[in-house]
This record gives sequence, C-alpha cells and structure tokens, in this order.
Amino acid sequence: MKILVCMKQVPHQDARLDIDGDGTWIKEDGIKFEINSYDTFALEEALRIKDAGEAEVVVVSIGPDRVTQALRTALGMGADRAVHVNDDAVAGSDALAIAKLLAAVAKEESPDLVLMGLMSDDGNATAVAPMVAELMGIPSATGVMKAEAEGDGYRCERELEGGALEVVDLPTPCLIAVQSGLNQVRYASLKGIMAAKKKPIDTKGAGDLGLADQVGTAAAKAQIEKIYQPAKGEGAEIIEGSTDEVVSQLVGKIKELGLL
Amino acid sequence: MGTILIVAELKDGSVREASYELAAFANKIGGDVKSLVIGSGVAGEAESFAKKGGGTVYVADDASLANYNVDGYSAAIRAAIDASGADTVLISNTPTGWDVAPRIAAALDAAFVSDVFNFEDGAYIRRVFNGKLDARVKVAGDKAVVTVQPGALPAFEGSTDGSTETLAVDTSGARAKFVETKVAEAKGVDLTKADVIISGGRGVGDPEKFTEVIQPLAEALGGAMGASRPVVDAGWLPHEYQVGSSGQVVTPKLYVACGISGAIQHLVGMKGSNFIIAINKDPDAPIFEVAQLGVVADLFEVVPALTAALAEAKG
Repeated sequence: MKILVCMKQVPHQDARLDIDGDGTWIKEDGIKFEINSYDTFALEEALRIKDAGEAEVVVVSIGPDRVTQALRTALGMGADRAVHVNDDAVAGSDALAIAKLLAAVAKEESPDLVLMGLMSDDGNATAVAPMVAELMGIPSATGVMKAEAEGDGYRCERELEGGALEVVDLPTPCLIAVQSGLNQVRYASLKGIMAAKKKPIDTKGAGDLGLADQVGTAAAKAQIEKIYQPAKGEGAEIIEGSTDEVVSQLVGKIKELGLL
Repeated sequence: MGTILIVAELKDGSVREASYELAAFANKIGGDVKSLVIGSGVAGEAESFAKKGGGTVYVADDASLANYNVDGYSAAIRAAIDASGADTVLISNTPTGWDVAPRIAAALDAAFVSDVFNFEDGAYIRRVFNGKLDARVKVAGDKAVVTVQPGALPAFEGSTDGSTETLAVDTSGARAKFVETKVAEAKGVDLTKADVIISGGRGVGDPEKFTEVIQPLAEALGGAMGASRPVVDAGWLPHEYQVGSSGQVVTPKLYVACGISGAIQHLVGMKGSNFIIAINKDPDAPIFEVAQLGVVADLFEVVPALTAALAEAKG
C-alpha cells in the first residue's frame, strides 16, 4: 500500500499580509510559513493508515527552498520520504498547472491512495484535488470528514451544508480531499525529527516531469491581475480608549439592548 | 459574445436559489445563456428553469443521476458543454460544485476560477487569504469553468423564452458510488435559540481559556458559548458549538465574537445576528466588517473586565 500526500506550504495564518510590488501577491520576505492546515489533516489520515498496517507514506510539495522545512516537518511526523518540486519557473502557476505537476509526480509514484486538503488557506480555491484526480484518471471525493477502508476501496463521508453528510464509495486507486477537523493532528516527536534528517527528499523541476512549457505565469489560464484590501463597508464603530472606558461603553450598549 | 452554460443544482427536487443567482451572474457577464439540469424525473423543474433565467435547458434525466455522483455529473456536464458549445461554464460553489467543477476544468484544459462573488470590467472577483484580501482574476484561453459563491448576487427575477432539450448521458463508466445521505444529527447545544452568544476563535488560544474567559461572560449574560471552525477542528470544543456554514446558523439578539478573524464560512453563520460586537487584536480582521461595534484589543484584557463589570452592574 502506498499513499501520496500532497501538501502546500502557505503563509502562517497570523502572518502580516502586505501586498507585493506587482500587486499580484503578498510580500513573502520575512513572514512565517506553515503547512496548509487542511493538508495537515490529510497527512495525519495517511499516518493513521500507516500506523494501522503496512503503508508507505510519500509527501509531495511544490515551491521554493522554504518548502524543505514543511517536508522535514512531515517526515518528522512519520512520512517515509518526500518529493520536492522546486523550480523558479513554477512561480505564478495557476491551480491547473500545479495539478499537472502533482499528477505527474503521482504517475511516477502510482499510489493506491492520494490524500490532500480540500483547499489552501491562502488561495482558498478548492481546485487542485479534483484536478489531480481527473488528470490521473481516478475517482475522487472532496470535503471528506471520515474515510474507512471498505471492500476494494474507501467509504467516504463528505460534508454537505448544515452538517449533513453524503456517503460515497470509491474504488482504489482514488483521491480523497479531506475537510479540516476529521482527525486530531499529531506533533512531530523529538525522535521523529531526528529520524527525519536521514529520510530522503527527492528534488525535481518542471522539466523532469515533462511540463516545462505548461507552468508559470505565461502558461496560466487563470491569472491574478491584482490583489487588494476588500472594499470597506461602513464597518464597525470602533470603541477607543482604556479597558475601563471600552468596558463601560460595552456595558452601556448591552443595557440599551435590554440584555442586562 | 460567447455562450454561457449554467449548471443548475437541485435540492429536495427543486432548482436551488443559487442556480437562479447563476442566471443573474450569467447576465452580468453577458452572452447566450444555456443551462443544464441533472437528476431523475426533473423534466418539470427544467421546464420552469427554462422560463426563469435558464434559457435553453439541457435535461440529463436518468435514474443513475438521482443522487449526486462525481463521475455521472461530470459526464453530464461535459455532454452539455459539447451540445451547447459553451465557452464559460458557471457552477455554484457548493459541496457539489467544488467536487465536480475542477474535474471539468482539468478535462477541458480550461481556466478555472472558484468561489467568485462578482464580475467587473472583464475580471472575476474572489476572496483570498480566508477573507482578508480580494483578487481580480482574468481568464486566458477560450474556455473557463467558474464557480460562484451562493448568495453573492440576487437571484434572477425576470422571465426567459426557453425550452428544454433531452441530453443523452452515458453514466456506465462511473466509479464513485453514492451510498446514502445522512442528515445532520440533533445538536446537544442548540445555539439557534440563544438570545446571547459569546463565541471564541483561534485567538482564544487553548481549551482552558474557553472555560476561564469565554464561558464566564456567556454566563454573566445568561447566554450560550459558541466557537469558530478552527476551534472545533483543533478539538478544543465539540462540533455542536460551531457557528458557521458547516455548523449552526444563528441569529441571537447579541453576538460577541472574541478572537475570531471572520472567515467567510463563519460570517455566513452569524451575520444575521441582531447586534454584533467584535473583539480582536487585528484591526484588519474581516469580522469588523459585519460587526456594529468593534474593540481592537487583547480579548484577555477586555473580556474578563467586561464580565466583572456586568456582574457589578447587576449588583
């Protein structure tokens, strides 16, 4: 059994978001990065399958040198080896180009199961996972809150609106894009971190995957023209002052609402 | 002017409000509007959608399409794209939409833009970074698949001169198999009936702080405690406390958001509250856009002081 976990490294959720000189993305200098929260749940799910039986867990991530840190974290948590697609030409790629790279890695690895997060915390696009499955020619399910081995595949519970769930069976090989919260994500142990130093990270470029002409800004079919602060509406009336002053105004408002 | 294909979505046998919103969105983009209705025994709904924004409606009506199935729906959508010659495909950004739409884009090697809420000057507008920034996205190439945020635009109100056309779809290759739909379990905590909800987010920091800081304020106001998704995902509180599109949708007299930045999925669940107070350290947090009153401060200073002041005010 082989499981491929696709991960993205994203700006830390509390990172300062300053817009870059082009106005098309944020300034990445000096901010902290982390593994996309949705992908941590996917990795945890893979590690649980590994813990319960025989499985090799391979993690793949695309991005510059900083991504090595995310891969080392994943290896420290228990993944067996990593593939790092590190190529300057990939910058500015759209979701479809990223999916092509991941699908190309997946074709080389031929996993029984591909796990990844439903979306990323930066682009919020819910795009890449089903694209990878389509390009691999395998079935997929997204927003999965529970996945259990069943027959020759996985029984998945997809989250619908209002807390309802849709149960769907996928034969393997298949791709499961997990919703956040389907498990409790472990931390890397000290022993795991030490062991991770000896685990291999295989680095590839877009050319190695036969996709040199299909990545980057020029090849992107969906291009970010600019990013900007959302137009502010009236917004909240902000109460200024010392804690005492703020609290006294809040108490006044609560009284006015008839809730005291 | 190109051709726009609307993929309508049915819920409990009827075309959803979100699909009528797609009709309005299609008109905003401009072009020849056609639609697709997928299901089993849906001819009547397809007829009425044809008259209310759908235009020419292709009907993929088959017993195998009675329930959502990614492979069957994908086959139906691709057949409708071929039949209509559409260059733009609009799908609602719902659990069905985000499951199938990217597969269509990948299969057609088309541009994919998701969860857009507007179309302005030839570009799609969408939120990024969990609601903190907006992006203008332009499409290159001759085909695009676009998913639209439900509720972003008012639904189409006029009438159209449309008719229906039967669409043959081969679903025999489907690998994913629908099993059942499980309805939401009854909640142990019913936040929908609370007059006051004090909610905490990631900014609360750990589960103990909910007991020490958030719970006492809820008690002081005779209200209930709520939480945003990351809190529940981290296991700090059970799912029944979650306010948002995948949790409970609440409309209390007073909603106090503590350390909640205001991701769209949370805002959907609480923006209908009568009065909203937001307490957050980050002045740019989107929660301040839906709140009436805001405090830019450390919740650990303000919330305990407020709890104490309320106790004093009550005597």
